[in-house]
This record gives sequence, C-alpha cells and structure tokens, in this order.
Amino acid sequence: MNKILITIITFLYFTFPANCLENDFIVDEFLLNKNLEEPYINTNYNYQSTKYIPIKILITEPIKSEKDIYEGQILKFKTVENVFENRKIIIKKDTLIAARVETIIRNGMNGIPASIIIGNFQIPEINSNNLQFEFEKYGLDLSLLVFPIKWALTPLPPLGSLTNFIKGGHAKIKQNQIITINYYLNSLPK
Amino acid sequence: MKIFKIIFLIILSIIFSNCAFANEQDLIKENEIQTKINTCAYKILNSNQIQNKIIFTYDDTEKKTTLNNNKALLNREVIVYGDIYKNIENDDELAAFLSRGIVIATRSYNGVANGFLRSLQIKAAPKKFEIVADKRAVDYMVKSGYHPIGLITFIQKTVSQRRQDVISTHNLASKRLAIIYEYIYTKYPYYLKENPYFNSESYQNFLLTSLNNRKLLEEKIKNNSKENLKYE
Repeated sequence: MNKILITIITFLYFTFPANCLENDFIVDEFLLNKNLEEPYINTNYNYQSTKYIPIKILITEPIKSEKDIYEGQILKFKTVENVFENRKIIIKKDTLIAARVETIIRNGMNGIPASIIIGNFQIPEINSNNLQFEFEKYGLDLSLLVFPIKWALTPLPPLGSLTNFIKGGHAKIKQNQIITINYYLNSLPK
Repeated sequence: MKIFKIIFLIILSIIFSNCAFANEQDLIKENEIQTKINTCAYKILNSNQIQNKIIFTYDDTEKKTTLNNNKALLNREVIVYGDIYKNIENDDELAAFLSRGIVIATRSYNGVANGFLRSLQIKAAPKKFEIVADKRAVDYMVKSGYHPIGLITFIQKTVSQRRQDVISTHNLASKRLAIIYEYIYTKYPYYLKENPYFNSESYQNFLLTSLNNRKLLEEKIKNNSKENLKYE
C-alpha cells in the first residue's frame, strides 16, 4: 500500500510542474479587477484627400527636461487661436487639449539630443482619429559638431573617444513655444 | 541502341521538368510570403500616418542572426531574412519585426542632410535606439491592430541572451523584454489583461525567465515610483 502511495506521490511531484502554467502576478495583482478600455486602432484610414487645418497649441506647464516627465504622463495644452473650418469656428481659443507622453529618448554621448514624443491628442468635440498622431520635440543636437571633431581626433588615440563625454541637449518645451498639430478633414472615423 | 537513346531522352526531360516545377513552386511560395509581408507592412505604415517611403523585401538566401539595421538606415528597406521568417508564427510577430524596421527607417528620414545625421546617431548609439525601436514598435503595432505581446514572443524566440551588455553594442535580451513589458503595462495594460498568448509556450517561457525583472516592476508599481529600473 505504502509503495503505491509513494509511487503516486512521486508521479504527481514530477508531472505537476510540467502541467502548471507560470502565472503573471503583475496582471493578477494590478490589472485583473480593473475595467480597461481597448486602445484606439486606426485601421479605417482613408487618404484620398490629405487636406488639413493646422492647430496651434501651447503647453500649460513648461517641461524643463525630459527627466521631469514619464512615459504615459498626460500633458495639458491650450489652443492659441480660434480654429475655423468653412468660416465656422470648430475649436475656440484657449480650449484645453490633453496629450500623452508616448516615448522619451534620453540624451546620449557624442552630442545625441534627447527627445520627447507626444501623441494621443484629445480635443473636445474633435474626433481624435482625424488629428495628427504625434509630435516630437528634440533637444539641442550637438552631434553635427561632435562627429567631425571625433573623426579628426581618431588618428590620435584616445583623443577621439573623449567626445563621448559630450552629451546632447535636454528636450524642453517652453510655455511660449507654439506647437502645430494637423487636423485632417478627410480621415474616416473609427 | 535507339531504344536506349529514347529512354535517356525521356529521363532527361523528366528531370528538367521536375526542376522547372520545383523552381516555380519556390517562386509561388516566395511570392505568397512577400505578399503577406507587404500587406502587413503597408497596414502599419497607413495606420500610423507614416509619410516616408519604405520598401520591404523577403530574402531567403542571406543569413542574418541578429536584427541588423543597416539596410533600414541606408536604403529605407526592411529585409525579412529567411532565418528570421522561420521563427514568425503569426501576423503579430511579423508586425513586430516589421514595426522595428519601420521605426529605424522612419527616423533615418528626419533631420540634417535628409536624415544622414540621424542615421549616424543611430549607428553611434545602437543600444539606445534598440530600446527606442522596441518601444515605438509597440505603439505602431497597437495602432495597426496587432497584439503587442507578439513583440515579446518574437524577441523571446529570436534574440539570444548575452553574458553582459556593458561592453556591447546590444542590450541583454532579458532587459529589452522587461522594458517592453513595462511599456505595455504603462501604456496599453488592456493587452496584458486580454492576452491570447498567455498559454503559448514562448510567452510562458518569457514569464518563467523574467521573474526577477517583473518583481522589480511589481515593487515600482506598489511604490508608485517613476524611476527607471535597472533590469538585468
């Protein structure tokens, strides 16, 4: 009897882990009970006409460096002026616009600048499908200066490598810096 | 003697017709793959409003074991190599590979000298832009209706784990996977919850091998921290 029991236990011990799925504790802990909306998918595009109206916007809180923000953060902008379509106001001046920090690229060696990609613009009463998806703001690009110096110094090692210590500029968005996003008139809604 | 000649000629004609048939079969197969790649690629370009011209080529002859960006930067051409394609199991994984190439090719259009400087920057800092390509590929995939977990399963299967990445032009595969996972968690948590890949062997293997990195992320979420994690 004992032998049979030991055999069964041993069998279960070796087979159970093989059949057991590795669980995703992050999903179980933080996402399982949340009601999550499916992200917007843009597969119903129509590029027969690419007419657009530019919308000028300003950020409400300046960004001094890409280090101060994080991916997924919501930023606020406001429109600089009224936006017209067929002589009719479609977006009033000072309308608040929400946008999301999509990707942050940190500044790097050899003068490579940082950049912030902002997207997912949300304007009241405007279909987001018709808006320009993204806007990228770069920091000061020093690589045009650094690369020739690096190449000139390469025959004198290790001087060429010293340019690695020159870092590119941080990506900033000042409060008075106008950003233009396009509102496409002919994109099909979802 | 004449009979032998006739038999010989018949055998020859059979051999040549078989070769021609095999070549035609190969061409039809390659054409099917190329059509599939083009359909997927142009869907990604159109869905993401990408206004740069990029072409896509299936190449079964050349072997590439790593994800090489040279052609994407110089020719704005994304090449799907045969040894990469054999690891692609579904449209999501194909979209994952193509999206990464599109990110690099698109960035080569911007900036000074028609993107020449930007291309140099990508060549000079491949590790940095490897992560950028991964993150942007997730965005492109989502916008064009593909499941971003396909990028995780694709990298899990195709990118080998190095011993270290300090003196290397590439990041550790595990580090890239953890960053992609965090990116999806932050921006598109819906796809982690609604995950058809959960039972797949490659995703299960990712969960198994990324335990420590996911624990780091768990702590970050619990502490509501915004710091960049040092994944292994």
